[in-house]
Amino acid sequence: MKRSIFAAIASDVHLWVPVCVLVGGICLLVVLR
Amino acid sequence: MSVGQKPEVENRVRALHVVGVVCGLAAGAWLGTAEAPVKLAAGQAPPLVVTLGMVLGVFMARWTIPVMLKGAGFVVRDLRHNAHLLVWALLAGALWVVANTLTVFAIRNVGLSIAFPLWNSNCLIGLFWGWLFFNELRGAGWKGWAQVFGGSLALVIGAAILAWATAERTPVAGAHPMLGIAAALGAGVLWGTQYIPYRKAYISGMTPLSFVTVIAFGELVSTLVLSVIFAGSFSNLGQQIVAAKPFLFWLFLGGICWVFGDLFQQYAAKYIGIGRGIPLSNTNQLWGLAWGALVFGELTAIGTHARVLVLVGSLIMIVGAAFIGTAAAPASERSSWQSAMMRECTRYGLDPVRVEQARSGNDEQARQGSKRRAWELVFPICSVAVMIWLGLSLERPSVAMGLGWMVALLALTICSLFLSGLLLWKRTRFS
Repeated sequence: MKRSIFAAIASDVHLWVPVCVLVGGICLLVVLR
Repeated sequence: MSVGQKPEVENRVRALHVVGVVCGLAAGAWLGTAEAPVKLAAGQAPPLVVTLGMVLGVFMARWTIPVMLKGAGFVVRDLRHNAHLLVWALLAGALWVVANTLTVFAIRNVGLSIAFPLWNSNCLIGLFWGWLFFNELRGAGWKGWAQVFGGSLALVIGAAILAWATAERTPVAGAHPMLGIAAALGAGVLWGTQYIPYRKAYISGMTPLSFVTVIAFGELVSTLVLSVIFAGSFSNLGQQIVAAKPFLFWLFLGGICWVFGDLFQQYAAKYIGIGRGIPLSNTNQLWGLAWGALVFGELTAIGTHARVLVLVGSLIMIVGAAFIGTAAAPASERSSWQSAMMRECTRYGLDPVRVEQARSGNDEQARQGSKRRAWELVFPICSVAVMIWLGLSLERPSVAMGLGWMVALLALTICSLFLSGLLLWKRTRFS
């Protein structure tokens, strides 16, 4: 993959929304445990 | 577009809508059926060991089925064409595992009757993301909205009624209701968000058969990490797995059934979008109920009032599925889907012609297939060997089962596999 593809991925909101939701889910698991 | 081409395009669109709806319903059948073997092992091991056993079976099937259907060359070529989507596949796997683990805490703290309706809202979350990010339902008009949103709502309400009528509601000692509700809602949000990677992959022209091979890594690694954390150490986890060996066959079998369901769900997401496809696959609740009631006799102790609720809940779900099934995307909505596709092409330098072909099930590569190699047989041979090995140490389940109903439900489920598979093959070549 070219560098520009990495830049495109890194600036894609479709990536960061699931990432934030995943982090939120992991934090919830930590609290529940 | 010439005048003569228009009916041809409309026919193709209708054909793909039918493929998507049939796949969504088949997904419900297989996801529901997957609950049956897992039931035989549940309670025999810690919840995360049950999940790990199932995920191992899922991993095996997620590689074996695509290689058997299209060949390893096809899968690798598709992954190379869409290398930027690998990160979304891994994310989808991790989201599923964390959501699945949250459900354990939800059931522990508030019970299934409250937890299930909360996390079953995942289809509404998926519908929202589909609208926001992938232009689903934009241009669908009030009728399209009423059918899809109304149908999804009916499925959520029907499932809630079923869960309320069938789940035990004994107070749980030492439970924290607010934490349980948070866990159930969290699971719904994670499962609903998991559909962002699905739709992202399919409007970029990827094939479900290759996308799921990478999701499998996300699932396996996340489950292993969580299982080690919850077991305390690797050796503790190893001991728990060894202790669960007599039941691992059922977990692997559940995993395999689940992969069939998930594959159909992926195809539904590809051909009719997540707003329509996911609610249809949520009909798995009806199949799970049929297995529980008819094969395992779980509803024998419930009263008339609960039986009426089961009937009402099931009917509401069927009506909801019918609403969505008849809500084909009009031309104005399809043009919104296309603009979402073009946005992905521009962003990631994809060839719009190839992506459009793949998106509409006309992928040239899928039609040509790939050259099969002898070593690809390793996948089915290993899978069969693992199942035989696990089957050798299998203990006879202590749960009573209605064999007649089991055969009938199995026959129906297998019929749905062949009919939907045949339709997919004829109209898309598993593109």
